[in-house]
Amino acid sequence: MSDPQPLVLDTITGPDTLADIQQTLDRAWACHKVPEIVRLHMDLAAGEIGANIIEHSGDGQPVHMRMSIELTADTVRAVFTDDGHPAPMDLSRVQMPDEMSEYGRGLAIAFRVLDELSYRRDTEGNHWILVHSRT
Amino acid sequence: MSQFSTCTQPSGVVVVKPTGRLNMVAAPALRKELHTIVEGGQTRVAVDLSAVDFIDSSGLGALISGLKVARQAGGDLRIAAPTRQVIAVLELTNLNRVLRAHPDAGTAFDE
Repeated sequence: MSDPQPLVLDTITGPDTLADIQQTLDRAWACHKVPEIVRLHMDLAAGEIGANIIEHSGDGQPVHMRMSIELTADTVRAVFTDDGHPAPMDLSRVQMPDEMSEYGRGLAIAFRVLDELSYRRDTEGNHWILVHSRT
Repeated sequence: MSQFSTCTQPSGVVVVKPTGRLNMVAAPALRKELHTIVEGGQTRVAVDLSAVDFIDSSGLGALISGLKVARQAGGDLRIAAPTRQVIAVLELTNLNRVLRAHPDAGTAFDE
């Protein structure tokens, strides 16, 4: 299966980045038949990881961010890479905060809706891999 | 300048209607709007979510912030007419327990 155009966003983060992420996802959904609940979960998770990169990777300053969407017969995968600071967190400890908390739900939401969420740091920067089954 | 339509009903309930995507871009303005309303003395606020097609953790945070400030002032914040995406996000975060959806903003404070 090949995509008519690469499902890649390569950008410097800024006010339009979240909209650009969604536009890239919308292109994927236009090309591939994916159930509504999977689209909802991926839109949400990718938005949360994107927002996390925009807000934290550069301490409020722009960073170079690349997102690619890959669809196989069984999965939808989004891979984010950015050249910002390391993300200081332990994914195994992520949990939904108290109901009245105003902050801290982003990663917990992504973790809850995805089948796999992983993070690693290397010399190129931060790498987030988001995986959801296509069913 | 407000990017939300607001309408005060004869009962004193203020209905706020955000539109589009309630994410990191739009949430700070909604949070500020809700605080401004409550600090202005109107402590019963209904947020009409019928035109919000996407909400994320930032949007939820703005609603919770408004809920807290309204309750601290002796009032309440209620939500109405959430779309499918908003309902799904409220459920998966368990916030449907504290932000129970009402069918219509105009009657959200009618028990």
